[in-house]
Amino acid sequence: MSDWLRQVLIAAALAGAALATAPWVLGEFEVSLALTILMYVGLAVSWALFCGPTLYLSLATSAFFGIGAYVTAWGLGTLPYAVVVPLGGLAAAAFAALVGAAVLHLRGAYFAVITFGLGELVRHAIAYFEKSYFMTVGRVLTDTPEKTTVYLTVLAIALAAVIAYALVRESRFGLALGGIGADEQRAQTLGVNTRAVKVAGFTLSALFAGMLGAAIAVRWIYLDPPTVFNPFIGFQTVLIAMLGGAHTLLGPIVSAVVFSLFTEFLRLRFPYAYLLVLGTLLIIVVLYLPRGFAQLWEGWRARRDRPARAAESPRA
Amino acid sequence: MGLLLELAAGGLIAGGIYAVVAMGLNLQYGLMRIMNISHGEFLMLGAYLTWFAHTTFQVNPLLFLPAAAGLLFLLGLAVYGLCFRRIVRTAPSLEVIEARSLLVGFGLMFLVQNAVYLAWGADLQGYSFLTQPVEIAGARFGANRLLVFGFAVGASLALLALLRWTLVGKAVRAMMQSPTGAQLVGIDTGVLHPVVFGAGLALAGVAGALLSMVYVISPSMGEPYTVTALIVITLGGLGSAAGCLVGGLLLGLVEAFGMHYANPSFKMLLSYGVLIAVLIARPQGLFKR
Repeated sequence: MSDWLRQVLIAAALAGAALATAPWVLGEFEVSLALTILMYVGLAVSWALFCGPTLYLSLATSAFFGIGAYVTAWGLGTLPYAVVVPLGGLAAAAFAALVGAAVLHLRGAYFAVITFGLGELVRHAIAYFEKSYFMTVGRVLTDTPEKTTVYLTVLAIALAAVIAYALVRESRFGLALGGIGADEQRAQTLGVNTRAVKVAGFTLSALFAGMLGAAIAVRWIYLDPPTVFNPFIGFQTVLIAMLGGAHTLLGPIVSAVVFSLFTEFLRLRFPYAYLLVLGTLLIIVVLYLPRGFAQLWEGWRARRDRPARAAESPRA
Repeated sequence: MGLLLELAAGGLIAGGIYAVVAMGLNLQYGLMRIMNISHGEFLMLGAYLTWFAHTTFQVNPLLFLPAAAGLLFLLGLAVYGLCFRRIVRTAPSLEVIEARSLLVGFGLMFLVQNAVYLAWGADLQGYSFLTQPVEIAGARFGANRLLVFGFAVGASLALLALLRWTLVGKAVRAMMQSPTGAQLVGIDTGVLHPVVFGAGLALAGVAGALLSMVYVISPSMGEPYTVTALIVITLGGLGSAAGCLVGGLLLGLVEAFGMHYANPSFKMLLSYGVLIAVLIARPQGLFKR
């Protein structure tokens, strides 16, 4: 076990223990805010798990999230919450494995567009299905679990995503993902089954997004496809991960916290101006900091280490 | 017979607009690998400018068409200079250009859409223009719809002719075939790229101006057209302007007939289904050999 992995595990354990006390220490508003933050931490880290090393640009997060949420909407009446949440993750993972096998040979913008299209496709398919078979456009959730349960579940999933990210990066599987990002043909030549690795990575990333969707769906009393397949959730996840630096673990976490706070306080008060600023910020970051804000930190570290000629660590 | 004709006409009218939007995006993507996901927002801007000029200053929307194209062209030059020039210059590979321009496109999408929300509000807007019906072979069409179809196909054919028979068109085609080769024979990327990007936005503006004569407009109308344009490009093949025209008309027909015979809420499902099927089966486009 490397030093880095040990540090991540210890930090995750400490942060988890501290955050688990929140429902008893903080007020209702703060806990709800923490829930949003944890959701975006989980989504951004699980996105970066696959898209960070492979440089694939997936916009399918909202599809996975929505599938998970709809598993809750359909199952919660008959099944307990503790069963519905992993089931939502598995449904999203199965969907990811299926489409991943079909579309992961595409790259670049084509892949981004098709994953976005898939999200919309699932959304319209569910809307169509609900309308023709159940004569309904949305569903009202009854007997939802307590807020504390939801919070602790989301916390556990977010922590699991962080730990999975760290474990994957330290494993042969993680190296294979990185090899695909650097040069897929070379990785193939070196004996990596790139197709299997890509599908597995995509599926793992979907598992967490689906579980988060299933866990957090109970927050909305009324569920309909436009709410849970909101493309904004997917965009915001990608933005958070890219702005923080998709090749790092800390970057997406920090930027999830900052972004959720921003969103909470600005978006409700100045909805249009907030998105104007968000758009401008995104353009500036892509143009001047293409590796995210982590680039600033890495630059600072490189300058600090240069006099000592220390080997530059790839980790941030 | 009348019904079939009306369905076909409805599909072709929508398809004509799709073709114009898709051609603009295809120029940008085919030539510079700029995946401009905010393309539909500029269509929306063109529609709003036309609506604004018509309702505030009583300008005839048809006369405003060249103005909309010109304004969007200038905006395109500015957007290219501010955002995409740097990406094209600094990115190490084509793949990185695609990824970064996609993200910048999202930024532009937020920017333009919310600027319009702030300026004109979230309400649906519209005006009526030449709505008296015209009867052809037992089917009735609004005069404005026929006009829109004529202008859309006219604009598409004009662009095709421009690409085929003028020196600029030749330069653009050369650049699509081989960027390095084109530069070797003296084609200036520094001039051609911004001009072509601007032309792409001008086409979006024309499509938007045409749309505003027929449909109601809203600040969120742009995104579906971006997706449709992507579908049309996929159908017609990258960099193929003629493929865009055929693909656009085809998609319009498929949607019109699918909506009538299956279910209206089936429309989006149908277009996404077509997109995904084509991407998986023939990523090079339907008409390429």
